[in-house]
Amino acid sequence: MKNMKNEEKKEIEQVKEPDKTEITGKECGKQAFEVDRRSVYKCVQCGTCRSVCPVFDVVGWESANTRGRMLIIKSLIEGRSPSEDVLSSLASCTTCGICASKCPAGANPPEVVEAARTQLVKCGITTGAQDKLKSGVLTHGNSFGETKSRKHWLSKSELSKLPEKSDYVYFVGCFDSYRYPEFARKTFGVLQRFGVTLLPDEQCCASPLLRTGFREDAEKVMERNLEQIRKVGAHTIITSCAGCYTTLKNNYPEELRVISLPEFLAEHLEQLNLKKLDLVVTYHDPCHLGRHNKVYDAPRKVIQAISTLKEMKNIKENARCCGGGGGVRIGYPDISLELAKNRLQDVPEGVDYIVTSCPLCVRNLRDAGGDIEVIDIVELVAMAME
Amino acid sequence: MDITAELKKIVGGRLSVSPSELYCYSSDASQVKGMPDYVVRPKSTDEVSRIVRLAYENEIPVTARGAGTGLAGGAVPVGGGIVLDMSGMNRILEIDIDNIQVVVEPGIIQDALNSALKPYGFFFPPNPGSSAMCTIGGMIAYNASGMRCVKYGTTRNYVRDLEVVLADGTVIHTGSKMLKSAAGYDLTQLIIGSEGTLGIVTKASLKIAPLPKTRKLVIASFENAEIAGQAVVKTFSNGVIPSACEILDRVSLQVLKRYDPNLVLPAEGDVLLFEVDGTESSAREAAEQIMKVCAPLTLSIRLAESEHEMADIWAARKLVGAAVSRLDPTKTRIYVGEDVGVPIKQIPELLKRAQEISEKFNLPAMKYGHIGDGNLHLALFIDVLNKDDWDRLNRAADLIHRTAIELGGTVSSEHGVGAARAEYMEAQWGPALEVMRAIKKVLDPKGILNPGKLGL
Ligand SMILES: Cc1cc2nc3c(=O)[nH]c(=O)nc-3n(C[C@H](O)[C@H](O)[C@H](O)COP(=O)(O)OP(=O)(O)OC[C@H]3O[C@@H](n4cnc5c(N)ncnc54)[C@H](O)[C@@H]3O)c2cc1C
Ligand code: SF4
Ligand code: SF4
Repeated sequence: MKNMKNEEKKEIEQVKEPDKTEITGKECGKQAFEVDRRSVYKCVQCGTCRSVCPVFDVVGWESANTRGRMLIIKSLIEGRSPSEDVLSSLASCTTCGICASKCPAGANPPEVVEAARTQLVKCGITTGAQDKLKSGVLTHGNSFGETKSRKHWLSKSELSKLPEKSDYVYFVGCFDSYRYPEFARKTFGVLQRFGVTLLPDEQCCASPLLRTGFREDAEKVMERNLEQIRKVGAHTIITSCAGCYTTLKNNYPEELRVISLPEFLAEHLEQLNLKKLDLVVTYHDPCHLGRHNKVYDAPRKVIQAISTLKEMKNIKENARCCGGGGGVRIGYPDISLELAKNRLQDVPEGVDYIVTSCPLCVRNLRDAGGDIEVIDIVELVAMAME
Repeated sequence: MDITAELKKIVGGRLSVSPSELYCYSSDASQVKGMPDYVVRPKSTDEVSRIVRLAYENEIPVTARGAGTGLAGGAVPVGGGIVLDMSGMNRILEIDIDNIQVVVEPGIIQDALNSALKPYGFFFPPNPGSSAMCTIGGMIAYNASGMRCVKYGTTRNYVRDLEVVLADGTVIHTGSKMLKSAAGYDLTQLIIGSEGTLGIVTKASLKIAPLPKTRKLVIASFENAEIAGQAVVKTFSNGVIPSACEILDRVSLQVLKRYDPNLVLPAEGDVLLFEVDGTESSAREAAEQIMKVCAPLTLSIRLAESEHEMADIWAARKLVGAAVSRLDPTKTRIYVGEDVGVPIKQIPELLKRAQEISEKFNLPAMKYGHIGDGNLHLALFIDVLNKDDWDRLNRAADLIHRTAIELGGTVSSEHGVGAARAEYMEAQWGPALEVMRAIKKVLDPKGILNPGKLGL
């Protein structure tokens, strides 16, 4: 029961004092807060989103739910000077999109929040975590600020054999490159037989920049990837990260054919010769693969071809967020972790693994420390290929 | 006195004075606005009592708030002061099936309560369209009700006892676990519908009802809303009491289809939804009787195929009021004049007048509502960026309120008066309003509890 859970919840709120650093710089004048008014005024303040926003569920303040965010943005476009005290509201949205899927008025709050973040960046109002993300991506091409090669997980001979031209590019992403190189290795292992190549100098997909408001910087990074995609001559980009997937598909200026790893696997099941495993698993829908792009069936098809699927309590458009996205994992780690713990409550009894198809979800759900191991779908597939 | 410091002593970190936070508490789902000076999120009756006592001693307004889904500005601190966000006090304290009741804190969400009751085969019947998000405290304070009111009544019919913090911080109980009592004034009923102006509810004992074995839904369409109104009157006078009886005019129908394109709804006309519940045979019999009585007036009539279809139709119906932008993204539904009610016989007349008002002010409107209890939701929508639209909107709302009073009805059937409809209390109540004012004065001599509401 919800009430019991609430009692055990760690209190993560702090006394909120007014912030004295009102920023009224030139660019932050009334006209400058350019968020499309119509998209904000669609909100009728009904509060439907209040009952689903996972961040609000753990924080409890009105400013931490969708309606509060929409209200704050409305106040800013109507002339209230932005100050740092809007950050705990606007920077703590995971962009999970469950509010948008439930909003009767058809508002798209995560889109509005991203637009507002872009305006805040213009005014120089950012969290330290945002700045760190940005500097990592701009200086080193990855969100972690790692300095080693992005392809460190490939052997020298594999590196030398990478085709210069190919129809298919495997876009590895920062997470698999630096945090889960074993996923990268396995994914590449599966895809290699289809002749995929890697970009010569892959950069972060720019998702962290876009989600946290650094639109102009993101454009430069996207262009660097695009140049390489053109050079390789690929018509299809395959990626195993939900964040990269939605960014490449929906934010890149050029229309690319982007497919997620589970979609690719589902399309090529027969060629993969997978054996059936004696395993019962559940599946966590990553927000940016599921709700944002409606990729629900492909991962389920792959899982069911290999093992027995037992669904979580809330699935597909109702799946709760792992807490990792939108810069929340790095900006508000306590909140992020509580969200992951809540998501683990949806796991059914009697499963051997929690499978998902996004390294950020893997990371966050693992950090929440449940008893059941969290794995990426490629690991399940690799088991079935052994 | 440093009020911030004093409040902090009581609630610790659950206090905010940050401008952005305060702004989020300066409105609800209505057009009423008012900035608080402090927001606190109490966790216990003792904390509420201490906060109210502090406010009493320092003559600071205190406004309780549930989920802020109210449509009359009841939770908006129009006089500033302290907002008590009660939504964190959301525990179910006792499910007492033997006494057919449940004891809850006021912040529990209606749907959450019903999810917890379902395994026992019981439910708390008042079901506003906002049941997924509104709190029991807000429902009690507004005497909220919903689509099943026609058979099951309003929140008022389900409250046995309330724990209430009075204006000076004193904690009282207004009732008991008893089904009936003949001892003294009925303070429970006084607090219900008082909109936080007489005391803060910190606990409630609620009567619950067994879940019906089955529900059936009849979907009928009519050439116009007036004929639909006649069908309702005819159904009732034939002795059938549906568990819900809703009207959706043709504009609402279009919005509903946009909201959920998979719904199978009549192609044309104004629609009535009749729900009946009970055992399989009693529900079937009632549904057949409705179909027989209404058939001569309808364009089409049918029984919903499955429970699944019924659930989808109800889910969409519940939120149709907020979904206008789906029809026209430049229009937003503004909740004003949205909750009038008239005696059931006057329904066809109200529908006619509502249509005339919408035409007179050249405002597109949806008409839908709990027609079975005389409650019509007139949803006017405007381009919020157009000043002239606002002006016509407010004039139309004023006229609809006056029309309802003229027809012997009420300016609010379920959404409450708050600040939005306070100006009509005199016209609706005459000298009875003075009695309400006298009660308020005795219970809240300093006028700190939710000032500016109910026309007091
Ligand atoms: C889309 C939509 C559909 C709706 N459909 C319906 C409907 O069908 N039927 C209906 O009746 N209403 C409906 N409403 C209106 C609203 O949801 C109800 O009035 C609901 O009861 C308000 O609950 P809340 O928790 O949001 O209260 P709030 O709006 O927060 O507060 C409402 C009032 O209760 C007082 N209050 C809150 N908690 C306490 C407490 N603990 N002690 C004392 N006073 C308290 C407040 O001061 C205020 O006066 C709808 C609203 C929306 C947005
Ligand atoms: S559900 Fe949509 S309309 Fe309702 S408050 Fe949330 S964003 Fe606004
Ligand atoms: S996108 Fe998710 S976290 Fe952000 S406001 Fe909507 S529901 Fe809350």
